[in-house]
Amino acid sequence: MRDDHYVSEAPFDPQSIEKLSEGQEKFFLASRKKLIWWKLKRHKLAVWSGIILLLMYGSTLISEFISPYNYQSRHTDHIYSPPQRLHFFHEGEFIGPFVYGNDYHLNMDNLKREYTPNPEKVEKIRFFCSGDSYEFWGLVKADFHFFCPAEGKTLFLFGTDRLGRDMFSRIVYGARISLLIGLGGIVVSLFLGLLFGGLAGYYGGWVDSVIQRMTEIIRSFPELPLWMALSAILPVTWSPLLVFFGITVILALLDWTGLARSVRSKLLALREEDYCTAARLMGAPPGRIIKKHLLPGFSSHIIASATLSIPGMILGETALSFLGLGLRPPITSWGVLLNEAQNINVVALYPWLILPVLPVVVIILAFNFFGDGLRDAADPYK
Amino acid sequence: MNKLIRLNILLISIAILGIAPSSWAYSEPDSLKELVAEKQLPPVSERLPSEPSVVTLEGERTPGRYGGTLRLLMGKKKDIRLMTVYSYARLVAFDQDLEMKPDILLDFDVKDGRVFTFTLRKGHRWSDGEPFTSEAFRYYWEDVLNNEELHPFGLPRELVVDGQPPVFTVIDDQTIRYEWDVPNPFLLPALAAPRPLYLYAPGHYLQQFHARYNDPEVIAAKVEEAGTRNWAGLHHRRNHPYKNDNPALPILQPWVNSTKPPAERYVFKRNPYFHRVDTNGLQLPYIDTVSMQITSSSLVAAKAGAGEADLQGRYIRLDNYTFLKGGEERGDYTLRLWQNGAGSQYALYPNLNSNNPIWRELVRQREFRHALSIGINRHEINQVIYFGLAEATGNTVLPGCNLHTNAYQSSWSYFDLDTANEMLDALGLNQRDNRGIRLMKNGEPLEIILHTAGEGTEETDILELIGESWRKLGIMLYVKASQREVFRERVFSGDAMMAMFNGIDNGMPTGNMSPGEFAPIDQTQLQWPKWGQYFQTRKKVGEAPDIKEAQELLALYYQWSKSEGLEEREAIWHKMLKIYSEEVFSIGLICGVPQPVVVNNHLRNVPKEGLYSWTPTAFFGVYRPDTFWFE
Repeated sequence: MRDDHYVSEAPFDPQSIEKLSEGQEKFFLASRKKLIWWKLKRHKLAVWSGIILLLMYGSTLISEFISPYNYQSRHTDHIYSPPQRLHFFHEGEFIGPFVYGNDYHLNMDNLKREYTPNPEKVEKIRFFCSGDSYEFWGLVKADFHFFCPAEGKTLFLFGTDRLGRDMFSRIVYGARISLLIGLGGIVVSLFLGLLFGGLAGYYGGWVDSVIQRMTEIIRSFPELPLWMALSAILPVTWSPLLVFFGITVILALLDWTGLARSVRSKLLALREEDYCTAARLMGAPPGRIIKKHLLPGFSSHIIASATLSIPGMILGETALSFLGLGLRPPITSWGVLLNEAQNINVVALYPWLILPVLPVVVIILAFNFFGDGLRDAADPYK
Repeated sequence: MNKLIRLNILLISIAILGIAPSSWAYSEPDSLKELVAEKQLPPVSERLPSEPSVVTLEGERTPGRYGGTLRLLMGKKKDIRLMTVYSYARLVAFDQDLEMKPDILLDFDVKDGRVFTFTLRKGHRWSDGEPFTSEAFRYYWEDVLNNEELHPFGLPRELVVDGQPPVFTVIDDQTIRYEWDVPNPFLLPALAAPRPLYLYAPGHYLQQFHARYNDPEVIAAKVEEAGTRNWAGLHHRRNHPYKNDNPALPILQPWVNSTKPPAERYVFKRNPYFHRVDTNGLQLPYIDTVSMQITSSSLVAAKAGAGEADLQGRYIRLDNYTFLKGGEERGDYTLRLWQNGAGSQYALYPNLNSNNPIWRELVRQREFRHALSIGINRHEINQVIYFGLAEATGNTVLPGCNLHTNAYQSSWSYFDLDTANEMLDALGLNQRDNRGIRLMKNGEPLEIILHTAGEGTEETDILELIGESWRKLGIMLYVKASQREVFRERVFSGDAMMAMFNGIDNGMPTGNMSPGEFAPIDQTQLQWPKWGQYFQTRKKVGEAPDIKEAQELLALYYQWSKSEGLEEREAIWHKMLKIYSEEVFSIGLICGVPQPVVVNNHLRNVPKEGLYSWTPTAFFGVYRPDTFWFE
């Protein structure tokens, strides 16, 4: 018998035919989170939006530090001062960031407060300096600012309003309220949405019907009048902080329905899956099944849709405050600032008071692009 | 400024002559020539009373010519009533010197301040051409005022003195008499008021809605058709001469509404039977039509700046000045600054009838009100909001008024935080919470919720400044803005602790005008609504004043109402002003804020400087808009 049977001496490699490159291996073995991250990273617009969002939200942590003035400090001698332009060169010579001081003159002919930059007055901006004192986070007393006007001078990058308050500082402070209201609202509405959507989707039957009808009723109300009615309930003696929470809850109470719907439909689909039946047969209680087996299946979707509904909240707050029904001075949000800018004088004479529109537009666009990218990335196996 | 106005007024005052030359040649308004030619209207000489009111225009005011449309802007549907205010044809009317002159009446005679004899103009006609005679007075007296169903609550307040109604007599077709046993000083000012007391009505038109003149079935059918509860409701609805809402109602004003409400634009056409003529024989008004555009009050300044108004003072304020001044050329108008006639631009009204017993007790202590008042930095308010053009004041009469003294104006209207703090400490408000807010007797922090009718940022800015300085007194101020009706309701019911509203209406009174704004006689007095209501309803509803000084004011008011002669009346005025300014029942802030008035460049006879106020000038009323004309 001829030994024509050949046995290779080389060790057996079962994947020799479909050899994965290192890259491919990394991809297939990557965790879900990593995949989402990679996909998101390819969406350039979303990345930049994300960075903007991070910066803006970061700024709310240190608003006091960033703004040169306290948002309430009035400058009676600088009412309706237009924005002061930032310069770097004075007579061809670089001397760092500075503004030209304003000469004030009340025009008795038309009662206009006229400010003219005086090129003689070079007012260098100071950095890491002490200025208006504040209570950092309401805890620590400090007077440290990132930048301040020259000693005894003024610095109004975005101009001042009718009481001589610095618009830049007010916008920076306003961001804190306007942005947090979106986050706070979404946390509440996420909780409600998951709770009711989860119950409806998992149990079905009459529970589902009741919750469905409830969401339909809530959704069928015209939004704005309902907001207005609810915000009218808030007692006037509430501290601004409480009003802030009140408005957050109001916005959330009306917003959770959409989320609950999508949670429910996802759950309805997923609970018919085999692994779910298996879990039930093994005696897992409903709470565990929802939490451990169902929720992870669509958590990325929830995050994406939550991101997309934050701008709705921010706009909601802005709209309410714009109508004079939301937050009230002295608390300052972008909506409150815009509310103060609604008259013909502002449009015709003091256009810089409309500046709070800018951050609103930027933040809404950023959230939308970012949410868009996140939604695309949320299902990496597609 | 004030002296100037007075001088102006003197120089250019309209003299209303009693008797016109008999050989008068009247000229027909162009817009009516066609109607007269078609014989739809009698010629002007037949339309005018035999003795029309002749208006002499002198000085900077000149006789004009016919034609044109005067455009006005208004912010609310009910503002069509302002046309009655601006038109200002009254039985007796104030002239520019604020002296009472007969207007619709040919003459009036007052004996002992209690017998009023009115003489009408022979041949005077309603705007529909029917004769205006003493029948109009009889109808209103017998069939309206003294009709149980139409006036279940009795006669208007001004007609009742000491609970007694007048004796009304028709002497002949042109003469009527109202007679009381005691003097009635309220009658003539009420007849000359911006919202006048009516003593007459077009019976020939209104009879068709009156139960006395119709079969019950006919009336029932009409009531059914109109959808009112009864015939009285129907009669009321058809007879609102002040509100101008029934184009069919004959009136005596220079312009007649021709648009049925609701509408966005109201057109007022000239009254072909108006009783005034100028010295050239032209029947007034000069201007053929007045068009009133109803828009949103926040848009009025913008529209006026675009030249969409020919005469506009309402809904524009000093903070629109810069904008409006900038639009002068484009809009072909000139912006004038008139003096504002309100006693204080805004005033704070601590509610002495508050439902909150702790607050009520506190606010009834004069030291507390004093401390609040001197805790306000009026100088800062003036600088920040009014360009430093105004003056600090209590809520009292204006500088330039005969009754004004510096003592009234500066009583507790200076700024002194230290004294205010000491006064509050002395009141037992020396406990404070961790925010530094004073505690009231029941341990609650002293937080004042102030209600405003919230119509603009001016109020909120002032309140922000006040709130800031009160914070230094250890008082927290919260502001609640609401609609004017809701706002009033809250104050009336006692729910509001404090309110902010315009100061006293008539900052330029004479001794002959009622001092009623300084005594608790009206519910709309926001510092004591329930006392006012008590007076108004003749002790049926409300509460009796139970502060000595308020009772004194009321007593003085009664005394004034029985007084005769200017000297005595002025003495009473001074006593009242003294008590009021010492007590600070309402906290005045700022006065002398000029009122911008937009005047079309082609519009003549509008005074350069004037007094802009509800009473006594009826805004433009005493300057006689019927004598304004377009060049």
